[in-house]
Amino acid sequence: MAERTTPIRVLIAKPGLDGHDRGAKVLARGLRDEGFEVIYTGLRRTVDAIVAAAIEEDVDVVGCSILSGAHATLLPKLVASLRSSGASDVLVVAGGIIPEADRPELEQAGISGIFGPGTTIAEVATFLRANARRR
Amino acid sequence: MPVDAKHLAARRELAQGISAVERPGPAANQRIQEALAASVADARNALVVGLTGAPGAGKSSLAAALADVARAVGRRVAILAIDPSSHESGGALLGDRVRIDEHPDDDGRFTRSIATRGSGRSLAHVAAAATILVEAAGFDLIFVETVGAGQAEIGIARLADVLLVVEGPEGGDEVQAMKAGILEVADIVAVNKSDRPGAQAAFDRLRSGLALGAGAPELALVSATAGAGISELLATIDAAGAGRGVRGRIRRVEAHLVAAAESHVDAQVREATASGALTTRAEQIVAGAQPLTGSITALFGISESPDA
Repeated sequence: MAERTTPIRVLIAKPGLDGHDRGAKVLARGLRDEGFEVIYTGLRRTVDAIVAAAIEEDVDVVGCSILSGAHATLLPKLVASLRSSGASDVLVVAGGIIPEADRPELEQAGISGIFGPGTTIAEVATFLRANARRR
Repeated sequence: MPVDAKHLAARRELAQGISAVERPGPAANQRIQEALAASVADARNALVVGLTGAPGAGKSSLAAALADVARAVGRRVAILAIDPSSHESGGALLGDRVRIDEHPDDDGRFTRSIATRGSGRSLAHVAAAATILVEAAGFDLIFVETVGAGQAEIGIARLADVLLVVEGPEGGDEVQAMKAGILEVADIVAVNKSDRPGAQAAFDRLRSGLALGAGAPELALVSATAGAGISELLATIDAAGAGRGVRGRIRRVEAHLVAAAESHVDAQVREATASGALTTRAEQIVAGAQPLTGSITALFGISESPDA
């Protein structure tokens, strides 16, 4: 497979209503330092807004930070909407407070990686490099 | 109305086109040429507005406010937001969308964040090509927003039909410092954040400073967040861009050719640095083993003028 010649583009999104974006900002900055192009969209974006931004920015990865407990509804909806928009090759990952018991269902729905508290930036970067689409 | 495949298909095609021209080569050139042909066939005449100024002056917010006013009267509006790539990692943090409201179900809007990648301190090499693709996709008002620093201001002045310099209300020393640079090539200077103390004073200082020169830029006092003066500013922009005719598209191709040349040289310099050829040649020049003349041809493939 050919080596990538351009940086991996990642959209960092905060769907839902919680207003805590420190974790998302730390991740955005950290991934920049790992050589990713990070598009940060700000707080309280709807799923439709995140999908449209992901399409316009032609990102390889959408990373969602969710601390509100709304992951079980929002994340599967996001994956389904990306797929119906023709962006099924976009990797969707999530971070934040997501209970262990909810993970199998999310993975089933197409959330490729789930990163809990304590995950290092380097671990996220390694996962994204291994799993983002090639082009 | 939920977004769906049909709704986003056109924006997706444009977005992928911009990614494609970010990878230079014959395929990128073909896409640009197809876009130009389509724009000629469809008699497009997009207005490209450059926004530049110091970080924090409110460029993103002002571009968003202008886009809202233009969209309200049915114009199709795109924003290209350029931010620097890290020299260390090659990564970039592109945060302009935070200040731009999302309109996911509106095909008359398009926003794209662009990293400068290997463009050094210059405007992103892909910026001109992106405007060519955006015009072909039917957007008639295109804002290109970039931090005004060093060479970037020359790049944006070359690309834009109308160059808008955005100042914050604290303008004073910074304004003085920039007068010889950006303000010389500005068509319009907008003092933003008119709702903050000091904005009127900054506007007055600029007006007295700029009134002396011939071909002085238009001045505006606006508040992007409060929406004050935005319609008037858009009218000023349109007046400044009126009569560009086919010259706008020619200007974009000129800017792209210069960017392509810069990109090529930058790549050659990176290659010669990484391979050690640059150091080796410098050592040979110091030792008298190689002449200075002919060295940039040997290293970077740039032909030197015969009388050099």
